[in-house]
Amino acid sequence: MTTDIILILIAIIVAPLAGGLISGIDRKLTARFQSRQGPPITQGFFDVAKLFGKEKMAANPWIIFCAWVYLVAAALSVVLFFLQSDLLLIFFVQAIGAVFMVIGAMSVPSPFSQVGAQRELIQILTYEPLLILVFVSIYLVTGSFSIDQIMLVEQPLLFKLPLMFIVLGYALTIKLRKSPFDFSTSHHGHQELVKGVLTEYSGPFLALVEVAHWYETILVLGLCALFWTTSIPAMIALVVLTYLAEILIDNTMARMTWRWMLKYVWSVGLALSFVNLIWLYAKV
Amino acid sequence: MSNLLVVLVLLPFVAGLACYLLRASFIRSLVVLGTGGILAVASIALMMSGPFTYSPEPVLGMSWDSLITIADFALLLVILFYGFKHNNLLIKLFSVAQMAGLVILELFWVDHTAHVPTFYADQLSLIMVLIISIIGSLICIYAIPYMKEHEEHLHLETTKQPRFFLFLVLFLGAMNGLVLSNNILWLYFFFEITTFCSFILIGHDGTEIAIKNSVRALWMNSAGGVAFVAGMMFIYASTATLDIQALLTSGNTATVGLLVGLAFVAFAGFTKAAQLPFQSWLLGAMVAPTPVSALLHSSTMVKAGVYVVLRFAPAFAGSFVATGVALCGAFTFLACAALAISQSNGKKILAYSTISNLGLIIACAGINTPAAHTAAILLIIFHAVSKALLFLCVGSIEQRIGSRDIEDMRGLYARMPRTAWITITGILTMILPPFGVLLGKWMAIEAASGQMLTVVMLAMGSALTVVYWARWAGSLLDMPGGEKPAPEEQATLMRLPLMTLCLGSVVLSLASPAIYEYMIRPMFVAAPFTVAGGVLSGPMGAFAIYPLFLLLGLGLLYALRVVKKSRGMTYAAPYASGANVEGSNDGSFVGPMNAPVKIQAGNYYLPAFFGEERLTSLANIAAIALIVLMIGGAL
Repeated sequence: MTTDIILILIAIIVAPLAGGLISGIDRKLTARFQSRQGPPITQGFFDVAKLFGKEKMAANPWIIFCAWVYLVAAALSVVLFFLQSDLLLIFFVQAIGAVFMVIGAMSVPSPFSQVGAQRELIQILTYEPLLILVFVSIYLVTGSFSIDQIMLVEQPLLFKLPLMFIVLGYALTIKLRKSPFDFSTSHHGHQELVKGVLTEYSGPFLALVEVAHWYETILVLGLCALFWTTSIPAMIALVVLTYLAEILIDNTMARMTWRWMLKYVWSVGLALSFVNLIWLYAKV
Repeated sequence: MSNLLVVLVLLPFVAGLACYLLRASFIRSLVVLGTGGILAVASIALMMSGPFTYSPEPVLGMSWDSLITIADFALLLVILFYGFKHNNLLIKLFSVAQMAGLVILELFWVDHTAHVPTFYADQLSLIMVLIISIIGSLICIYAIPYMKEHEEHLHLETTKQPRFFLFLVLFLGAMNGLVLSNNILWLYFFFEITTFCSFILIGHDGTEIAIKNSVRALWMNSAGGVAFVAGMMFIYASTATLDIQALLTSGNTATVGLLVGLAFVAFAGFTKAAQLPFQSWLLGAMVAPTPVSALLHSSTMVKAGVYVVLRFAPAFAGSFVATGVALCGAFTFLACAALAISQSNGKKILAYSTISNLGLIIACAGINTPAAHTAAILLIIFHAVSKALLFLCVGSIEQRIGSRDIEDMRGLYARMPRTAWITITGILTMILPPFGVLLGKWMAIEAASGQMLTVVMLAMGSALTVVYWARWAGSLLDMPGGEKPAPEEQATLMRLPLMTLCLGSVVLSLASPAIYEYMIRPMFVAAPFTVAGGVLSGPMGAFAIYPLFLLLGLGLLYALRVVKKSRGMTYAAPYASGANVEGSNDGSFVGPMNAPVKIQAGNYYLPAFFGEERLTSLANIAAIALIVLMIGGAL
């Protein structure tokens, strides 16, 4: 019971702090890739603090509601992850946040926010099946969807699911809205979408979305960590390498179109999944 | 027991006739209300009394079995008559084929001295009776004010409501009979009544399109009837019994004849559940008045199809037929979810979603483990509630705004605030945890994990489902801030079913651990899940219902409080690159020639990926191939 409470507290308090730091590191490295100095790695916290201090303004009450539900769902999914519950359940709880984010963006009659919401839905459409298949493949190796059972494996999952780890990589890049899959929140002011699905979240409500995103980053990295649970240093190495790869991809890829994403990621993702799943089924 | 059965099966027939014969609208409303109430109470009483077996005594020296046989032929003759009336070759052929099959069965094969219990109810039947009697009754009650307004719109000289309510109410009796029958010939009889009722109800408005679609529904379901007769013949030839329970417990799956028979019965279930390639009859059914669609889609008709598959599923466990059924169901789930994305017609989205969810239920029947059967039953329950609710919502919206297009429902909150949030609740209960449909989907995916193709199709279908629901919910709220929605007026008899179903969809989800524990678990020798503290756990994973309800509920209440407190704040104009029209909050901007431009938004329907003309024929061909595989696999 006490361990549970400690885990819940870690999930609620430490996870977003870690997520904020990771985003700071992300920005720092990105700046260095672009020969810039970059902000300090704690910049994310300053940004959020400043946003919380802004006057409350929103286009309508729904978007406030949706920002809060997004945050609650994201935090809850991380709590469930730390409590080592069912992977599919965690995923579905996370989906609550994703859906409300879209509903909020759609509740405002702004072309940027509307188009961003439609694109975000296509991003969800692209990564959802892949993530479910990753969980199914984990089940096939470990015999369970529950993280506490999954942690009991004797050999790192990565050895049996190398292709699924690549599939997870695709799904996570889309989930974290990184290039080449960042069209729902394209963040360059001179481009057509301004901030896409995020356009209408502003001030304290944008801060909520930002904190929710930190939670999601931790959830996503946690999923990566599941692929090497037998040794802590290896787990950390895997997570760090994966995230560095994400940053590298983010900075070296141009944004593509959603049509390309849907076709490309579904075909590559499904092909990789099929190959990996078939060899698992062959063994079962 | 016998009294309850009389109420549940015969009363709707009598009440339907009363609606037809007593033409005063006041009396008709009373009859419908009274019947609905009695059915609901009787179904609960039947549930409380638990499983039973029962055979009625002969009346006037005639056994009920022979009465049913006579009624069977009479019904087929009536269908044949309509085949001639609408000059449809397929209907004629199929009804004659059914009669021929029945003649062989009844006159030459069946040993009429063998005792077959007429009715048998286990947990599955009892749950079905609850759904039919409660949700079906609510829809019939909603129909009273709806049909009044419907006929005012049409400016009818003489009302057609007596005939409408005759078949609407009678439908409930036929469905109750269907799910309680233990004699396969009785099951077939009620199966045919539902076919006929839906034919009449779809064609109710008598327009050209209504007639055309009702005829299509009749021939497709008659094809199912032929498959059912063929299935009965194969089954009887290999087991020599009409007793469904005896058949299920015989453990005699090795015989090819039985498997082929079961595959044909499953095929009949597919036609009734509008599985690919038979989806067109259910899509066409939306021409009927909304209560008909609601009834066909939620608690009756299509649920008869999945019930039949689920009822016979234990008999083909472990065979290739089971795999075939799972593949067919999963494929329909995927293909119809994809097709739904390309639609902007609200009723059509609901129709594709129904077919898609039925596919999921059938896939569960095919997976055929206790966990999968649990998933199927949960999906049947929760889908019935949410889908009935959504149909009634669309019906109310359509009567008010004159359109069923979801683009026209943009910003509905400003015009119909109550209906808008009820619709959104309905939508969220279809796709998000902690609600029942998602619980069922979670179980289904975990249960399907052992079958690669099935689980891949379920994963993809599940993602597609989220897209077409989420954008509908979002667009209902699309309105500028600071506007006060106009209060909404609605007939009490319309509001009552809407509120009941809305509340039901949430409260029943909260009660899902209890529903599982008391209503579903007794079906199984070895329980697939255990319940502790509102958490459903099985060997593969766990779904925490009470904790999620509690935490998400608290989060929701907090968010609502924040919203309430923010009422006084200034509403910002939506971002329009700084070119907003001064003083407007609706996103309009200063366009060319300094003229104000109102912004217009629309959903991505992705016709290049999911368009009907692009996908339908491909999907139909694939579905036919899978069905051939399923039946061929039995050989």
